[in-house]
Amino acid sequence: MIGISLRSLLSHKLRLALTTIAVILGVSFVAGTFILTDTINATFTSIFATANAGVAVTVHGHPIAGETGGVGGGQNHPIPTSLLTTVRAVPGVKDAVGNIFREGATLIGHDGTPIGGNGPPTFGANWITNSGISPYRLRSGSAPQQPNDVVVDAGTAAKNGLAVGQTLPIVFLGGVEEHFTITGIAGYGTSDNLAGATIALFTESTAERVLEGQNKYDSILVSAQSGVTDVVLRESIAAALPSYAEAETGQQAAAAAEQSTESTISTFIGTPLLVFAFISLFVGSFLIINTFNILVAQRTRELALLRALGATRAQVMASVLVEAAVTGLVASILGFVVGILIARALLSVFGSASTGGVTLLPRTFIIAVLVGTIVTVIAASLPARRATRIAPVAALAEALPETQPLPRRRIVIGLVIFVLGCAALLVGLFTSAGSKLQLIGAGFLGVFLGVALLAPLLVVPIAIVLGWPVAHVRGAAGILAGQNARRNPRRTALTAAALMIGLALVTCVAVLTDSVRVSTNDAIEGAFRADFIVFTQGPDFNTQAAQALQQDPSLADVTEVRGTSVLIRGSSQGIAAIDPANLGSVLSLTMVSGTASAIASANTAIVDSTEANASGVHLGQLVTFTFPQGASVPVRIGGIYTANALVSGYVVSLATMEPNVPAARDTIVLANAANGVSPSQAEVALHHDVKAFPLLMAMSRSEYRTFVGASLDSFLNLIYTLLAFAIIIAVLGIANTLILSVLERTREIGLLRALGMTRSQTRSMVRWESVIISLLGAVLGLAVGLGLGVAVSGSLHDLGITEIAIPGSNLIFYAIIAGVFGVVAAIFPTIRASRVDILRAITTE
Amino acid sequence: MAAITTAGPSTAASEAFPIAARTTDAVKEYGKGDAMVRALDSITVAFDKGRFSAIMGPSGSGKSTLLHCLAGLDRLTSGTVHIGEVELGSLNDRQLTMLRRVRVGFIFQSFNLVPTLSALDNIVLPLTIAGKKPDAAALAEVVRITGLGDRLKHHPNQLSGGQQQRVAAARALASQPEIIFADEPTGNLDSRASTDLLDFLRHAVTELGQTIIMVTHDPLAAAHADRVVFLADGRVVSEMQAPTADSVLDVMRHLGD
Ligand SMILES: Nc1ncnc2c1ncn2[C@@H]1O[C@H](COP(=O)(O)OP(=O)(O)OP(=O)(O)O)[C@@H](O)[C@H]1O
Ligand SMILES: [Mg+2]
Repeated sequence: MIGISLRSLLSHKLRLALTTIAVILGVSFVAGTFILTDTINATFTSIFATANAGVAVTVHGHPIAGETGGVGGGQNHPIPTSLLTTVRAVPGVKDAVGNIFREGATLIGHDGTPIGGNGPPTFGANWITNSGISPYRLRSGSAPQQPNDVVVDAGTAAKNGLAVGQTLPIVFLGGVEEHFTITGIAGYGTSDNLAGATIALFTESTAERVLEGQNKYDSILVSAQSGVTDVVLRESIAAALPSYAEAETGQQAAAAAEQSTESTISTFIGTPLLVFAFISLFVGSFLIINTFNILVAQRTRELALLRALGATRAQVMASVLVEAAVTGLVASILGFVVGILIARALLSVFGSASTGGVTLLPRTFIIAVLVGTIVTVIAASLPARRATRIAPVAALAEALPETQPLPRRRIVIGLVIFVLGCAALLVGLFTSAGSKLQLIGAGFLGVFLGVALLAPLLVVPIAIVLGWPVAHVRGAAGILAGQNARRNPRRTALTAAALMIGLALVTCVAVLTDSVRVSTNDAIEGAFRADFIVFTQGPDFNTQAAQALQQDPSLADVTEVRGTSVLIRGSSQGIAAIDPANLGSVLSLTMVSGTASAIASANTAIVDSTEANASGVHLGQLVTFTFPQGASVPVRIGGIYTANALVSGYVVSLATMEPNVPAARDTIVLANAANGVSPSQAEVALHHDVKAFPLLMAMSRSEYRTFVGASLDSFLNLIYTLLAFAIIIAVLGIANTLILSVLERTREIGLLRALGMTRSQTRSMVRWESVIISLLGAVLGLAVGLGLGVAVSGSLHDLGITEIAIPGSNLIFYAIIAGVFGVVAAIFPTIRASRVDILRAITTE
Repeated sequence: MAAITTAGPSTAASEAFPIAARTTDAVKEYGKGDAMVRALDSITVAFDKGRFSAIMGPSGSGKSTLLHCLAGLDRLTSGTVHIGEVELGSLNDRQLTMLRRVRVGFIFQSFNLVPTLSALDNIVLPLTIAGKKPDAAALAEVVRITGLGDRLKHHPNQLSGGQQQRVAAARALASQPEIIFADEPTGNLDSRASTDLLDFLRHAVTELGQTIIMVTHDPLAAAHADRVVFLADGRVVSEMQAPTADSVLDVMRHLGD
């Protein structure tokens, strides 16, 4: 029997080709994701290892609460420079050096724009003169010696054409440009740089000044005398340290950095990509089911003959499953190879520092092959079960009519799955159940499966409606197209359902982003009163900009909104600070109780009502803020306001925050046009002032609204890209079904040609069938997507999505695109159909 | 195109038997080299308008090939085919399609009907393809003489083989073509059903002046025709006017079928 499956497989090569492509695409997405994240992790691992090669022990402050995790590990409290003397005095220490390493030194490229844009972090650091300890290795030029010398990392230099001797403008902490001379180019360990981040290296005193070191180091790097092990040295150093500092061996530090990096990458890159990979595979499984269903239908006589000759049901089942397993296996291996290419392409897009190849773990190959093969076999098991029900007499009968009514059992199962899916979704969205994300995921899955199972019931009515105009425009070809689309409702439904899933997700996200857009539009309008807003897309910026604007006579009420994170009842939370005097003229806060001006009193905060309800905070209560510096400050709640698009959480006065943070950092700066100055004049003046700060953006209120909307569009584009795989698979599915249908209907098409149907009418017939199937997918997808989108948006009411918007023009666009997909999917099938040999079609038995 | 659609009986009105279709030195070869088969070996034959002609001959003698070439379903290797005054070799695919659509009707041995369409839709299919409205009176007449009145809404899989062939015959008549080509139309029918179908075809010729060219193996079927042309090895070897089953059988035996 296995021999028969394999022979059948070979004779259906063409028919299986598209199924194979579906599996390849899905598997390549999965494999590509693993390879990508493994490669990035490996890159970091080798960076941390080589960079720490000469370091026996690292001394640093305790982790800053709420700043743990992230690429390279969390942030620690800085330690005073005086600690260096203490460490150097510990027996066994060969040398110790202070290390300043902070975000906030942005290089300005030759074209005048910030290098790296808003992408990777921009680090500034002191050049470490002891090359035995330093992670930096000079590649050319010399170390920085003068206050205005800089050494840049080799990766950034190569990418941006930076060379020794050039003058380089650098912006620190969002401030004004300063000019440096490049004296050298250095690598980080053996790599060109820190995986795409830029590093600028200065003399220690310059680093201290520009990075606002405040006589503190971020860490102290220690090398050991020969004969002293890292572990022993760590213990003796730890014993000498004051309570605010701790010591790790170089290996421990590297391992901690590695682990933190790995989990960050898996959270932000790996998991989201895997979700979309899973969607692609899910859609692909529809295509697999359809293909095997059609193959079984076409092999009805052959299988019945085998049964008549004594093959058991199990043997028939096995023959289909073996065919599926071999297809899945071959496709998975190919998918793994394509995954390597995808990972390579993505790595070059991310501009990662990985120089050589990609990291291929055996685990990736095993997962790819297992996933691809298992999905194929499971999907084919439904058709295989159908094959076992073929009666031996079918070998003798004429081919059965294709349409059979949907069994009642299937309708019931479909309804149950659909209802369960809806329930899981609603519980996940609207209650605070523990496993929210899992419930929502299961809900989506249930809704999609339920609709796919019930879709055959909808095929006939929807196809009649969609087919009506086609029949009127395209005559006989149109009539036949409509009839062909509904002659086998299950096949059509499954094909359309694959497209439905992609379109439903796109529609859902479109509804969500549009709701966010409309809600924030209104919210921004209502949230602040100021004419202008200055902000950046990078980290918070220093106060130079605010000071410059305050000097400008065209502007009034220049108000900084500062931010920091504090610990409240053990959890880290961002808080804002603002000058109470200007609060009324730049913000418009709706108070639930108390007054906004209450923050004018020392150690008084206002809080938004959602946060107050969630943590059970009431007016007049004392809440303890633990600031990054370590100070715990009891703060009285002086008012409760309604959160808005600009301000949420706790708000205090600048005076309350300032003594407790190391350096003042602005999140945004708000300003009004001065009295007697027209808004447009003030805007010109503002733009002129802000030009000196390359990282900052200045906008009027309405420009800001548009800007926020546009950033939603780029989110939507990202989702389109990620769903493209699923949609391509669905379009392949339509092409596949059509090709198989055309092959199945060869005689019929030949007959039509004999009766006077032209080639172009034949093509038109197939093309319109394809369009009807696609539009059916679009109708289902838009309907399901709208439902999902409204549910998801509705559940985010508390996060400020107060209005639900339906992006009508997007939806029409999707429907048109679906029609175009139909035409595209039909290209190959129409060619097949128009090439049908009339004589062969009507003479072969 | 005009030549195809406007050709009518008037051009040949003066002749005793106007010609509906003819071949001159028709040669059809399949394959190449050693495997080459000469299915038609220089056939020159003409079929009269308004008559019922049968083509007979042993299996493999080229009957179907001749019929396909006459009907514009296939092309000759050399020689010419005319339907009316139009030489088919000079037509491109589209023109041939139009000729089949407008001037020719078909009845095949099996698989004559589109399974998704009802009997009625199948009958008017050539007209639908051409984007024409069926002539109600003519359609009613065709339905009446085929006796399909109560079956028109049925789909092919709900009809018997004989009924399916009658639907095919009704379809061939409904578009009022110049010639109907039939390749073993009774091949799959029992004697009762085939007699019904043949009576029906005979009736169309006698009453409506239809031209029919039919390939058959069955001497009884051939006996319904006005004339029989016998083929063997791709040549015309004999012919007979006003055949009877016995006289046809005689010739066939002679040909060693
Ligand atoms: N497509 C083809 N390729 C090769 N040879 C062919 C092809 N079609 C027909 N032939 C050959 O041409 C010859 C005539 O075939 P044709 O089908 O015309 O015979 P026929 O008289 O209709 O026979 P039957 O009574 O069995 O239907 C045969 O020898 C046949 O094998
Ligand atoms: Mg034949």
